[in-house]
Amino acid sequence: MLAERNISRRELLAGAASAPLLTGTQARPARPRIAAITTVYFKHSHAQHIVDRFLEGYGWNGTHHHPAMDLVSLYVDQVGNGDFSRDRAKRFPSMKVYPTIAEALTLGGSRLAVDGIVLVGEHGKYPRTEKGQVQYPRYQFFQEIFKVIRASGRAVPIFNDKHLSWRWDWSREIYDTARELRLPFMAGSSLPVTWRTPSLEMPLGSRVREAVCVCYGGVDSYDFHGLETIQCMVERRRGGETGVKSLQAFRGDAFWRANKEGRWSKELMESALCRSHTLTPAREGFNDIMPTTEDMQRLVKDPVAYCYEHNDGLRATMLLMGGLVKDFNFAAKLDDNKTLSTQMYLPMPDGRTTLASFFSPLVNNMEQMFHTGKPTYPVERTLLTTGLTAAGVDSLHQGNVKLDTPHLASIRYQATTQSTYWRS
Amino acid sequence: MKRIAVIGSIYKYLSHVQHIADRFLVGYPIHGAWHRPDMKIVSLYIDQKPEGDQSAERAREFGFQVYPTIAEALRCGGDRLAVDAVLSIVEHGDYPRNDKGQVLYPRYEFFRQCVDVFEKDGRAVPIYNDKHLSWSFEHAKWMVDQSRRLKFPLLAGSSLPVTWRLPDLELPLGCTIDEALMVGVGGSDPMDYHALEAMQCMIERRKGGETGVRTVQMIEGDAVWKAGAEGRWSKDLLISALSRSDTPQGFTLEDGRTQDLVGSGELQRLVKKPAAYFIEHNDGLKTTLLMLNGAVQDFNFAARVRGSGIKSCQFLLTPVPNVTYSACLVSKIEETFETGRAPYPAERTLIVSGMLESCLTSKMQGKRLETPHLKVSYQAPKQSQHATA
Repeated sequence: MLAERNISRRELLAGAASAPLLTGTQARPARPRIAAITTVYFKHSHAQHIVDRFLEGYGWNGTHHHPAMDLVSLYVDQVGNGDFSRDRAKRFPSMKVYPTIAEALTLGGSRLAVDGIVLVGEHGKYPRTEKGQVQYPRYQFFQEIFKVIRASGRAVPIFNDKHLSWRWDWSREIYDTARELRLPFMAGSSLPVTWRTPSLEMPLGSRVREAVCVCYGGVDSYDFHGLETIQCMVERRRGGETGVKSLQAFRGDAFWRANKEGRWSKELMESALCRSHTLTPAREGFNDIMPTTEDMQRLVKDPVAYCYEHNDGLRATMLLMGGLVKDFNFAAKLDDNKTLSTQMYLPMPDGRTTLASFFSPLVNNMEQMFHTGKPTYPVERTLLTTGLTAAGVDSLHQGNVKLDTPHLASIRYQATTQSTYWRS
Repeated sequence: MKRIAVIGSIYKYLSHVQHIADRFLVGYPIHGAWHRPDMKIVSLYIDQKPEGDQSAERAREFGFQVYPTIAEALRCGGDRLAVDAVLSIVEHGDYPRNDKGQVLYPRYEFFRQCVDVFEKDGRAVPIYNDKHLSWSFEHAKWMVDQSRRLKFPLLAGSSLPVTWRLPDLELPLGCTIDEALMVGVGGSDPMDYHALEAMQCMIERRKGGETGVRTVQMIEGDAVWKAGAEGRWSKDLLISALSRSDTPQGFTLEDGRTQDLVGSGELQRLVKKPAAYFIEHNDGLKTTLLMLNGAVQDFNFAARVRGSGIKSCQFLLTPVPNVTYSACLVSKIEETFETGRAPYPAERTLIVSGMLESCLTSKMQGKRLETPHLKVSYQAPKQSQHATA
């Protein structure tokens, strides 16, 4: 029996701004029903990685784990060649595909009929903005979801894959609405929760002076993963997250000038590179050799840096260095002059593996929230990295200008005491 | 600065000599920094020079000499031992196989020539022997005995014991292991050796340490599934080991899905020619290596540890060309050369060399073999030796 409080019509009409839909002591069903709202479902799309783990189970804690919940409904925005959603629905009759988001959430009825929602708005054919951002319809999906939740007067946990939206004001609105409705809400990348090689954590309360991530991929894409890589570590610093006051991006020649001028620590960049498993050999005939700056300039065709400063003075830099590495590497300088570095390891099914196992800890964290109604890490992390991604895109679009980010300066939060990356 | 002689089979891009020796020449990544060993390769002997040979090029660039014999390399062309350590890397190259399918790499022959020089010149220096000591246990035993007799440090083996583990699992020293299972892939006898040594570095930490092996048996084909059904190897351990794999084949290749290969029965469809290596230790511990080509492409371990259930992990083999796990190994080699003390015992590699040889003999003879000669006992190092920092 669900002890969920129905919202009155009067409260709804009144805007319900201060009326929580859920109390904190909400009982959760023993076997929650989950809806997945997705853009596409083809091989190696995020929806395939995530939804499949609910349906097929996955390797976890040394066994093949089947989540104690049922993914009962699926919405897929674009169904085309290579779609596997129909195949999955056939193989798993407990899951039905619905033509609209509302129907997926109500299971074809009139009220919200699921206990948790996974939103995967990644991949698919969507137009780009003039700045080059893919307009994934996460905000529009959220609008549909919020509509059903409001109309049904029942709040359920939501997990949003990757950043909240490509547009900052929409992202903030999603976050604010989720708070207003008191929805348990998580979002983000698998980078914070995957294996680390070596398996180490930023000690809670560390004094962090500077942090760097060396990774690869494109703007408004893997930059977000690099930012989450940094943020999941630095949020554990003394005082917690204090917000970001400014960001400046560099691309092309400006990147190398910034590198030369020491806009980020060369030592930390090198330390991060020394955690890579995929450093492109800079010399023919050598399999693993430290590149010189000239080598890097030759190997990295489109380097991008996002340098940003937090309110407490912490400097952080996300470096996209495709051509040099194909992994995500983190390094930080702590106040005792100690360097802490590791790789957030992604078993990548691009030939290196066949299974993107880093989705397993991501799904496992979702499961925990769907069971308990409590997020396992703060969504403010992803609110901040969403804003940083958009600010990076803006800075690049405006010709590498430094941008003040007052809208990100107010995002303050504390990290979880417990580590949430994959260790078991 | 310590002086190193390299004696190897071939020096070619992506050969073991290139992987390992180059790290002494150009440095390597370890503990989040690019480390340049305070050591110098001064001489090289290379047994074969196939197309793509890099020995002359490396010698020119890094200022060392290539010598026509091992003795000359160790003496740097003089009349006395003139190096402080020897890297013996005999892997890859064109060597015959015996009727058991073992490649007859001349590791013992190389080692013997080093020992000759040590004896004649009255000084012995540390040796790193890459991979198993020899295809023959008798030879391997002789090699370890010489290191004892002449009191020089000997480090040997695979990089699997020292690479990252997913998760970062180490069995508690002195634990009781009820059974252990390893899943490996690749050909014999290179890859089964790696898998056996990965398992050995885990189980040697059990109560009482390693006590030696009393019987082995190797079987292939449907007999492997039958043996599983009869409980000769543990299905639970196999499920656990495979739950650590990032490389399931079959449907995962087709549409990306996760799979319970054991539960679904796909395993038997995917593995056309399974092989099982059964090892029974003197203290009663039974362990199994399953070579499951076709099912996965990585190396995974599981053990039932009394009081804490099944523990499992993947031994992470990072991608080619960097194979960063070999940097973990070179760090252990450097430590041996620097301190004069091997961080883990060569007996591990000795017993694995012997169990592999006997398994292959068992396969040929089609029966279980008593192995009284494998009474190799040793204690595991207290400190973990794999990549944790």
